[in-house]
Amino acid sequence: MAGSSSASYIHMVQHMIEKCLIFHMSKEECVEALSKHANITPVITSTVWKELEKENKEFFKAYEERQSKQEQMSEEETNQMIQKIISDSSKDSDD
Amino acid sequence: MSALSPARNSTRDDGESEFLATSCGFTINTEEDFPEFTDHGDLLDIIDFDDLFSVAGDVLPDLEMDPEVLAGELSDHMNTSSTITTTSTGSQGETNKKGISGKGEEVISKRDLNETLVAETVVNYDRKRKHSSSGSTKNNRISSNEGKRKVKKVDWTPELHRRFVEAVEQLGLEKAVPSRILELMGVHCLTRHNVASHLQKYRSHRKHLLAREAEAANWTRKRHIYGLDSTGANANGRNKNGWLAPAPTIGFPTPPPAAVASPPVNHHHFRPLHVWGHPTVDPSVMPHVWPKHLPPPSTAMATPPFWLSDTSYWPRIHNGTTTYLPTVATRFRAPPVAGIPQALPPHHMVHNYKPDHGFGGPRSPVDLHPSKESVDAAIGDVLTRPWLPLPLGLKPPTVDGVITELHRHGVSQVPPAASCA
Repeated sequence: MAGSSSASYIHMVQHMIEKCLIFHMSKEECVEALSKHANITPVITSTVWKELEKENKEFFKAYEERQSKQEQMSEEETNQMIQKIISDSSKDSDD
Repeated sequence: MSALSPARNSTRDDGESEFLATSCGFTINTEEDFPEFTDHGDLLDIIDFDDLFSVAGDVLPDLEMDPEVLAGELSDHMNTSSTITTTSTGSQGETNKKGISGKGEEVISKRDLNETLVAETVVNYDRKRKHSSSGSTKNNRISSNEGKRKVKKVDWTPELHRRFVEAVEQLGLEKAVPSRILELMGVHCLTRHNVASHLQKYRSHRKHLLAREAEAANWTRKRHIYGLDSTGANANGRNKNGWLAPAPTIGFPTPPPAAVASPPVNHHHFRPLHVWGHPTVDPSVMPHVWPKHLPPPSTAMATPPFWLSDTSYWPRIHNGTTTYLPTVATRFRAPPVAGIPQALPPHHMVHNYKPDHGFGGPRSPVDLHPSKESVDAAIGDVLTRPWLPLPLGLKPPTVDGVITELHRHGVSQVPPAASCA
């Protein structure tokens, strides 16, 4: 029975990882979330993540690209840019 | 066969045909079909039992057919119409007390023996029902009447029932007439009678479930609304990717009425192919039946009686309303995550985040990450309802591969016995 309980456990971890992926979380964030909310050992989470990555290389590649694109423009920069746009548009309306 | 009979016949016949014409809306050839009623022997000889039973005993069968069905069929089977006449004519009382009326009074069998058995089956009677007694009296017939009757008790197996349902939906529920259903089913061991009584049961069963389903649909809709309020929309107005929003609501505890997953819309816990005579599986048992790998809940519930895993029948019956309950969860999640590599294209992802910035929400601008509550809800969802389908459906890693890898990292037991983190 150990075999099937391992399998279902791993499946559960995969399920949780997928939920985190939907939230666009990084691997580290995912590990932390699973550990905090579900008491999943970090090493298990990261192992399952790595294995998932091996099986779904294309997906994770795109996922990583997305993550890095986010990092290109840091959050602060993005925020400032948007603030600027807003102030610019209000300036325009003033005129 | 007294001398009087012909005369009586004629008057009676007139009266009866009048009665029939008014009550049932059709006329009958009285001459051949209504000989002396007092002589059941002759009557029985004339009545065509072939399509009712294979044995022409001296007993008139309990003919339970609802009026509308009867009307349809009598056009085909004029002979059987002879049994209708009895209510109006009291003289038949002792022999042929068939009560079939538009008001649907219950069928009274003509024999004391039958009456006893009818009484026994009172539990199956629904006097409020429009139709007469349930099909279980068919069993009574078999057992009650002397063993001469060789009618086989029909066991409505799932397969048989499925064909029945197919036939019914092909005809349309309103038009589903036992004789046509029988034709469509192409089953030889079924008599029209069997089909008729089964049809009755089926109709009333559906009505009952429709009511329940309507109530449940309202209930789940309400839950959906409340769910959205609490988790779907964050304080800063950020709604986690439109298609994810309902997901947290599904994390709610299972609603009472036989529902496994409570999708927000069109929630069916109908079990159209469930044969009501058979024992059922209590849906609350289902979580324990969760097999190793993620089948859709409908498969997990596929114990013998509850063999509906194919939703294709139900939508047809319902003229295209949505799918059956368990698989709704699957379908509900499937569309958003179909083709996930495309679903998460880089530009798409970034776009999701941008609108949140600069809106001055309670969260700090640098916090791109999902709220703790959402994550907690999502993870909790997995823990409480592991049978739900994977949101992304990524190709799972091999179990052995994972375990090997874990061993390398010093984890010997999965799941670990000791708590972690």
